[in-house]
Amino acid sequence: MIDANILALPILLPLVTGALLLLMPTPNARTTVAAIGSAITLTVSCVIAATVFGGEVLSVQMSAWPAPYGIAVVADSLTGVMLVLSSITGLLTVLFLGSSLQHPPRRGASNQLNRAREQFGAQALLQFLFMGVHMSFLTGDLFNLFVAFEVMLIASYGLVLLGSEVRQLREGLKYVVINLVASAIFVTTAGLVYGLLGTLNMADIAVKVQAHLLDGSDTRVTLLAALLGLVFATKAALFPLGFWLPAAYPTPPAALSAFFAALLTKVGAYTLIRTFTLMFPQASGVRSSLLLIAGITILMASLGAVNQRRWRYMLAFANVASVGYLIMGVMTQNTLSLSAAIFYMMNSVMVMFSLFLIAAIGERLAGESYYYQGHINAYPLLAMGFFVSALALAGLPPTSGFVGKFGLIQGLYERGDRLATGVAIVAVIGSLLLLYGLMTIWRNFFWGESDAVHRERLPLGMTITTAVAGALVLALTLASGPAYEVAANTAEQLSEPSQYIERVLETRPGLRTASF
Amino acid sequence: MELLLPFLAALLFATGVYLLLARDILRVIIGLNMISYGVNLSILLVGGTNPEGAPPILNAVARNYVDPLPQALILTAIVIGFGTTALILVLGVQAYQATGSDQLQDILNTADPIDTLEATADPERPSLSPEMTTEREDHS
Repeated sequence: MIDANILALPILLPLVTGALLLLMPTPNARTTVAAIGSAITLTVSCVIAATVFGGEVLSVQMSAWPAPYGIAVVADSLTGVMLVLSSITGLLTVLFLGSSLQHPPRRGASNQLNRAREQFGAQALLQFLFMGVHMSFLTGDLFNLFVAFEVMLIASYGLVLLGSEVRQLREGLKYVVINLVASAIFVTTAGLVYGLLGTLNMADIAVKVQAHLLDGSDTRVTLLAALLGLVFATKAALFPLGFWLPAAYPTPPAALSAFFAALLTKVGAYTLIRTFTLMFPQASGVRSSLLLIAGITILMASLGAVNQRRWRYMLAFANVASVGYLIMGVMTQNTLSLSAAIFYMMNSVMVMFSLFLIAAIGERLAGESYYYQGHINAYPLLAMGFFVSALALAGLPPTSGFVGKFGLIQGLYERGDRLATGVAIVAVIGSLLLLYGLMTIWRNFFWGESDAVHRERLPLGMTITTAVAGALVLALTLASGPAYEVAANTAEQLSEPSQYIERVLETRPGLRTASF
Repeated sequence: MELLLPFLAALLFATGVYLLLARDILRVIIGLNMISYGVNLSILLVGGTNPEGAPPILNAVARNYVDPLPQALILTAIVIGFGTTALILVLGVQAYQATGSDQLQDILNTADPIDTLEATADPERPSLSPEMTTEREDHS
C-alpha cells in the first residue's frame, strides 16, 4: 500500500519543475529539465493509477485539517484515468514543444518568434498548466477546484498570448473575457453552495444534498446544479458557449494546441462527470438538457469542421464534437453509457493529441492550409498515422473510436426515450460529417501525385513524439479490452459514490496513517 | 443594512454586464471588475451576515463568532481577480498597440496573414481567395 500523501506529488512536481525552469539558462537545459520533471510526474501518476484501478479510493486532508473543513485531495479510478492521460500527453507535449520551438521551419518569419517564445517561459507556463490540470483532477473541494481552474486558465492565457501576434491577441481577448465571466459565475456558485449547504467539500456536498432532498425536490438545488453545469459547459465548449474555442486553440504553437485540445476541454468534461455523479446525481432535468445540448454541439461542431481549410481549425472543431460525444455519454444517465464515455475519453485524448501533432508536421511541410497534394509518397508513416487516427476519431471499426461510439449509442438505445433517439441519430450523422472532413484532408494533403513534394528532414524530437502518439492510438485499439474494463470499473465506482464519500469523510488526521 | 447589500450586489452585477457589452475594451475590463466586486459581495452575503459576531479567534468571552470561510473565499477571489485584471489590462494595451484601436470591433475584425503558398497549392482550387481563407470569422 502506498501512502496517500503521494497524491500531492502530481500537483507539486509540475510546480517545482516550472519554478526550476525559470532559472535555466539555455533552451536545451530547459527542455531537459521539463522532460525529466514530466517523466517523474508520469511515473507518480502511474503509481497512483495502479493503486486506484484496484477499486480503492485514496484520500488525504491537506495540513491534516479534519474532513469537511480542510481541503481534501482525493483519487478514485476516474482521477487515475485522467492523471495518466494528462501526464502521458504532457510529457510528449514538452518534448514536441522543445523540439519544434528550437528548430522552427525554414519557411516563414516565425523563427525569431518561436525562439523568443521558448526564451520567455513557454516550458515553465506549460508546467504550471499541468499543475492546474492535475489539481482539478485531484481536488475534492469545490472552491479548490475553482482555484485549480484559475491556475490552469492563467497559465493557458499566458500560452495563448505568448508571442503577441495579432491573431493571438484577438482570440486571446475573447478567450480571457469569456473565461473570466465563467469563473465569476463559478465562484458565485461556490458561494451559493456554501450558503445553502454550509460546506464546500464535494463528498460532504453529496451527503448534504441527499439529506436536503429527503422531503421533496428543491428548486435551489436544481439551480446550483444548473449553474455548475453552465460553468463547466463553458469550459468544455458546449453549444452555444463554445464558439470561442475553435478560433482560440489554433493560435499558440502547434504542440500547445495539441495539449489544449486533448486535455483542457476534457477537464470541463471531467468536472461535469464529478458534478453529476457525485454532487448532484438527482438533477436529472439538468442532465437531460445537457444531453440535448451535447447533441446540438456534435452537429454544429462537425458541420464547422467540414467547412475549415486549415489543419488546426478543422481539428479544433472536431475536438469540440468529440467533447460533445463525451458529454452525451455522461448525461445519458446509465452505467453503460458512462463506461463508454470514459473509454471514449481515453480514445479522444490520445487521438486528438496525435492528430494535432500530425497537423503540426503538416503545417511545417506545407503551411497552415492542407491543400497541398501528394505527401503520402514522401511521408508514408505520417500518412499511416493520420489514417489510423482519423478512423479512430470518426469511430470506424476496428479502431478504439468504434468501441467507444458503439457503447455510447448502445447506452442511448438503452435509455430509449425520444430525446435519446434524436441524439443518437445526430451522433451518427456527426460521425459521418467528421469522417468526411478528415477524408478531405486525406485526399488533399496525403493522396495523389505531386512532384512539388520533396522530403524534408524533420527534427528528431518532433518525429519521435509524433510516432509515440500514433503508437499510443494503435496501442489503445489493440488493448481495447483491458482499457474498456478499466472504464467499466470506473463507471461502476462513479455510479455508486458511497465509497468515495466514506473514504473522504473518514480521513481524520489520526486515522490517516492507520488506514493505509 | 443587510437588506440593502443584496441590492448593491445586484447593481454591481448589472453594471458589470452592461459595461461588458460595450464596444470599448477599457469598459469591458471595468465591467469584469464590477462583476468580480458583485461576486465578492454576494459571497459575503450568502455566508450570512453576523454583525454581533466576534472575530473568529478563539477566546474565553465570545459566544458567537463570525464565519471566517466566506472571507477566506473572498480573499482568494480578490487575489486571483487582481492577477487577471493586470493580465487583461496588458492584453488590452497590446491589442491597442497592434491594431491602433481600442474598439472591440476593430480588434476582432483583423484578418490573419494569408499563407502565400495556399493559392497555388491545389490545382482544383486555383481561386482560393483571401476572403475564403478568413471565413472562419463567421463562427467566432
